[in-house]
Amino acid sequence: MDNDKVKSRREFLQSGVRLSLALALGGIGGLAVSRLTGDDYVWQIDPFKCTQCGRCATECVMSPSAVKCIHAYDLCGYCDLCGGYFKPGYNALSTAGENQLCPTAAIERKFIEEPYFEYVINEELCIGCAKCVKGCTSFGNGSLHLQIVHSLCVNCNECSIARVCPSEAISRVKASQAYRIKGGFTQESAG
Amino acid sequence: MEKRRTLNNVVVISAGIVGLLFLLWWLWADPTRDLAVSLPGADNRGGGGASGEEVKIGSLFQAFSGTHAALTETWPRFRGADFDNISKSPVSLKDQFGSEGPQVLWSVELGEGHSGAAIYKGLVYLLDYDEAERADYLRCFSLLDGKELWRRGYQVSIKRNHGMSRTIPAVTDEYILTIGPRCHVMCVDRATGDFRWGIDVEKEYQSEVPLWYTGQCPLIDGNLAVIATGGNALMIGVDLATGQKVWETPNPNGWKMSHSSVIPYTFGGRKMYVYCAVGGIVGIAADGPDAGKVLWESAAWNRSVIAPSPVCMPDGKIFLTAGYGAGSMMIQLKAAGDTFAVEVLKEYAPRDGLACEQQTPLYWQGHLFGILPKDGGTMRNQLVCYHPSDVTRVVWSSGPNKRFGLGPFFMADNKIFLLNDDGTLYILRPSVKGYEELDHAQVVPDGQDAWAPLAIADGYLVLRDAKTMVCINLRK
Repeated sequence: MDNDKVKSRREFLQSGVRLSLALALGGIGGLAVSRLTGDDYVWQIDPFKCTQCGRCATECVMSPSAVKCIHAYDLCGYCDLCGGYFKPGYNALSTAGENQLCPTAAIERKFIEEPYFEYVINEELCIGCAKCVKGCTSFGNGSLHLQIVHSLCVNCNECSIARVCPSEAISRVKASQAYRIKGGFTQESAG
Repeated sequence: MEKRRTLNNVVVISAGIVGLLFLLWWLWADPTRDLAVSLPGADNRGGGGASGEEVKIGSLFQAFSGTHAALTETWPRFRGADFDNISKSPVSLKDQFGSEGPQVLWSVELGEGHSGAAIYKGLVYLLDYDEAERADYLRCFSLLDGKELWRRGYQVSIKRNHGMSRTIPAVTDEYILTIGPRCHVMCVDRATGDFRWGIDVEKEYQSEVPLWYTGQCPLIDGNLAVIATGGNALMIGVDLATGQKVWETPNPNGWKMSHSSVIPYTFGGRKMYVYCAVGGIVGIAADGPDAGKVLWESAAWNRSVIAPSPVCMPDGKIFLTAGYGAGSMMIQLKAAGDTFAVEVLKEYAPRDGLACEQQTPLYWQGHLFGILPKDGGTMRNQLVCYHPSDVTRVVWSSGPNKRFGLGPFFMADNKIFLLNDDGTLYILRPSVKGYEELDHAQVVPDGQDAWAPLAIADGYLVLRDAKTMVCINLRK
């Protein structure tokens, strides 16, 4: 009887490995659950405070900047003369480079039907300079606005753009609500 | 020794080959090969131009039951009887709204737009687009109760584009003249609404409908309807009674119609029509044997979008301003006998001085009053006062806590009435010394884009936001 209770060395090692595996799996599961349920903080821009100073393009540790222009289509007027697309004093309302405000031609303009045009941001080309945002805010509905794109942002402990932002438009927000998109954000703020 | 020489040759030849390959690579490589050239046409835009739609101007009419109380005063057109946006009415108006708030007499839902009202002896005339009927209507309301009496119009396809209608009728005792969103001019009998005549400007003059539709308010000058057409003619004078063209000003420069309106002006002994086209500014003889002829013109003021009208001052200075980054210009008109010359006194960006995006500045007591545009620097959207001698040095501004969007404003009973974008009406004491607010109140609930110029007669103020027109009793 006593001999039955004595574990062999093999059995002891097997039990130890099983226990280790169980603990490891439990730990991973716990970590996963905590990641899913926890709410970290990330940096984001309040588009209503942003003054389009241009520092998002030059101060971000990423190159090009992790700040990109976002288009709130539900706010857009789909204008032929888009203040975010065309330079003041443009030669013609055409897609010729000399008429475009964006230094990297990151805004694609598509004719929908008279008199509407759609404007789409090419994120890969956008450098976050906010020239288009300034134009749209000054002369249009303000549908173009800047956001920190979290697939690009390295979430520095101290955001290098936030340090110099003159309007203090950048702050930490909950990761579960990582974006402040105009339209939805407007409704949320109003609510 | 021989071996070393061979090695040297191999090294030299190898280095030469590598150098040659590098040179070839350098010549071949194009660092811009990944760049795409931005060329016109990438947006696949349509052809534009005239739509081809056959519009039967004046073909629709509806009469409604109701009457109106005949009153005495008028606000017969854009900027009032004297084109200065200052009411000369003796009626005393409220300084403050009081504890009960503004007395709103009535409100009417409209098609989305920014067209303002004209008032004529107890009747309100407004151009409005009816989306359900797809028709442009001149609507006649009773000033005191807002009841609609009749509407005259025509079917035309208009899509929302930051609003639809945006012009103010011109009214005389006999006639009403309108321009619709797509440049359809309509003349009707004021009392009955009977159709007199119409002109499809886009079709007849191959004009280009301005961006966001027509903003030019039509002008009646005596028996003449004056319209700046652009296209095949720069401006036309039309006999009000018959619709016959009296004169057409040639347009050899191909200047286009802007949102600016034609302003009558007398200077150097000549009456003229001053107009800011897209292309330049022009003064056209308004009377005499050379009526319709260009007296002077200048391409110095050439902006792509111009909404404010020229502010013509008694000493020949003309203040010009526009939005969308255009800034402003002060020109000096000089007369020498029958000839006129234009000198540019100052030209500057919107952040450097008085500039306006939409509303025409007001000239009062030798000073200019306006609301700066959103790109007007730190004073953006503020009410500002400047002296014409230096329109880059502000006399006063309303301050950072008083910003007014694109708000329309005018003067009556020694007060400025100013409407904010959101439908808040401000009463101000006009002064060349500083900003003085008497009162303010929300007069259009949840107002949006309240950009239409205001109209007042007999103490009743008619204003609107994008969708609602209201009448407020301002009588003391």
